[in-house]
Amino acid sequence: MAISAAGIIFSSLNDNTLSRLTNDRTVAAIPFACRYRLVDFALSNLVNANISNISIVANYNYRSLAEHVGSGKDWDLARREGGVNFISPFQTAYISNNSMFSTRLEALINMKEYISEFKEDYIVLVDSDSVMNIDIKDVIRAHEVSGAKITLVTRNAEKTFTSKRPRMMISSVAGKISDITLSSTYTEKNPELSLGIMVMTTAHLRILIEEAQAYNLNSLTGILQRNFKTQNYRTYNYKGYVASVSSFLDYYRHSIELAKNEKARASLLWHKEAPIFTRVHNSSPVIYKSTAKVEGSMIADDCVIEGTVINSVIFRGVHVERGAVVKNSVLFSGTYVGKNAQLNCIVTDKDVFISDGVTLSGNENMPFYVQKRRKV
Amino acid sequence: MYCKKECIAMLLAGGQGSRLYDLTTQTAKPAVTFGGKYKIIDFPLSNCINSGIDTVGVLTQYQPLALNEYIGNGAPWDLDRMRGGLSVLPPYQGNKGSDWYKGTANAIYQNINFIKQYNPDYVLILSGDHIYRMDYRLMLDQHKKTGAACTVATFTVPIEEASRFGICNTNPDNSIYEFEEKPKKPKNNQASMGIYIFNTKILLEYLEADEADEKSSNDFGKNIIPNLLNNGEKLFAYQFSGYWKDVGTISSLWEANMDLIGDDPVLSMSDADFRVFSRNMARPPQYIGPKSKIVSSLVSEGCRINGTVINSVLSGGVIIEEGAVVKDSLIMEDVVIGKNAKVYTSIVDADTVIDKGATVGIEDAGKEDITVIGKGKHIKADKAEGRA
Repeated sequence: MAISAAGIIFSSLNDNTLSRLTNDRTVAAIPFACRYRLVDFALSNLVNANISNISIVANYNYRSLAEHVGSGKDWDLARREGGVNFISPFQTAYISNNSMFSTRLEALINMKEYISEFKEDYIVLVDSDSVMNIDIKDVIRAHEVSGAKITLVTRNAEKTFTSKRPRMMISSVAGKISDITLSSTYTEKNPELSLGIMVMTTAHLRILIEEAQAYNLNSLTGILQRNFKTQNYRTYNYKGYVASVSSFLDYYRHSIELAKNEKARASLLWHKEAPIFTRVHNSSPVIYKSTAKVEGSMIADDCVIEGTVINSVIFRGVHVERGAVVKNSVLFSGTYVGKNAQLNCIVTDKDVFISDGVTLSGNENMPFYVQKRRKV
Repeated sequence: MYCKKECIAMLLAGGQGSRLYDLTTQTAKPAVTFGGKYKIIDFPLSNCINSGIDTVGVLTQYQPLALNEYIGNGAPWDLDRMRGGLSVLPPYQGNKGSDWYKGTANAIYQNINFIKQYNPDYVLILSGDHIYRMDYRLMLDQHKKTGAACTVATFTVPIEEASRFGICNTNPDNSIYEFEEKPKKPKNNQASMGIYIFNTKILLEYLEADEADEKSSNDFGKNIIPNLLNNGEKLFAYQFSGYWKDVGTISSLWEANMDLIGDDPVLSMSDADFRVFSRNMARPPQYIGPKSKIVSSLVSEGCRINGTVINSVLSGGVIIEEGAVVKDSLIMEDVVIGKNAKVYTSIVDADTVIDKGATVGIEDAGKEDITVIGKGKHIKADKAEGRA
């Protein structure tokens, strides 16, 4: 039977830990993997599970996100029924308590009236900072079969795992959650990392919202911690590739990993049945000139490559001039790299101009960031 | 609801393109891939939207499946509109019987009611066979200024090729005094591009008369334009200068694609002010492996390359394995070229698989000796494929 579910995407709850990349955009609008923004993965995962009622919770700084999503047409979400909707903080002339959402639960409480109109049986909550290509249908199926009240998608964290913001860390016994803590490193006690995807019935979400209001709770983690001992909360352990982007360094490493690691590319981008959709630009194919030399790199449309590009991720409309060498770098759209310039371990934001002959170098553990529209 | 439009376009996209052989056995010529991610029809459709023309009738006939699916509701060209927009116009059955489109003029004649709905002052007739970027507004401006009944866009061709085209013989003020369809001894090298702007009233009048004439072959170049001239109507040539290429043959299709590459290409697709729009297939970015070499080429989204690509145009989703070499070739969507295979001077149509170690085409063969591999073929390693 067809699954009836609605999706809610949280776009901006950890802007502060991704400082540089979120100077003028929210987390969900961060460009990633040549031609996408983080929100594309959340949206595509939902759309590929035939979910067509999607709400994007946006707090601030979401102009570029709204522009990117537009009517939702590029995700087949420009619908008369459902489609994609932006949810911003609810304020009126009578209630102006400066009520930005600081947590997912606050946002959900704010959306209470809106959620009460949902006709779908299930709700899928999705954070936008965990990037993966996951079969949400399978998660919902597992949720149905297990009879859980809430199912959280997790993966086993590596022992070296660290996160700039505290993450929900979980331990489970045969899939049933036995402990939940907040931690920014791996712990032996709670080795599973929550990937910010949760499934529950719409009815159960309404109960959670009531409970939160009744007991004045303000975080989803808090309410789960309060209830896991008495309720059947379960994990869905995901084995595919995940890029968890909690800091600028995370962002850089995961980007370069895509250029280097075939399994990561295959898991994230090369599913024929589950493509990642994004906003379409009418751009030309990549033009390689006679002096081009490219190795181990991902390159988006509309680029002109005359120089050398190695182990890098190149966004749309980048021009690498003759004699220039770009290594281990991430160049956002519209970056211009002048003749004989040398870049190593650099992240350039949009429309950066690197003049002829300039040398810039960061380190793999400390990549160098060049801000939007900067001329070097 | 229909509202009045100043100018609407009628795009003739029913051509079979029989001189493209294997490339058009299942596909109408306007749906043939060009320049990696485009189809030939993207060019006139993009010209329309870039010229502010938002109502386009696309007349289809031959093998319309791929073409219709590609055009859809016109959304890729921003032609999905409440008022106007893109309409596909296939031949249909009416109460007086049904008819295939007999000729270019008959195709428009059968859709006179479509034109009347918009009550346009001018009708722009286009064909879906050419690669060019043109601002039709400039042509319309000239048409209005001269007060012509019909304006014919012309392009200067080498005089030795002029006998392949319809030739406009003009006075110094660009008014046309004679139109010769494929003349043996051309007096001029101003070739008709098959692009016409008509005053609607004149067009409808001549289409009716042409339909009533049983001897007519119902063709714009052979009948309508000469009839206008014979009756003393004012015809003007609009001289277009820019890139224009008929891609009706294997060698011209190959050549036009080669015009896109090199350090100083004849035709550039990266003009931000005059974009060519196309349907986007949501493919991932291209990946260029550590042992690959790509020079003087155009490579589209979704390609995965681990071999060598020289002087070639690759469409979306092409896979080139290690040690394979592609040179002077056009490779269409989702072709797989196996390890150490060689492809020289070829056009390989979509979904074809070339096994590892196989050789296709003749190295440095030039435009007269291009190998064509049709759609969905499987080329085995034990035999070399020469010219198809």
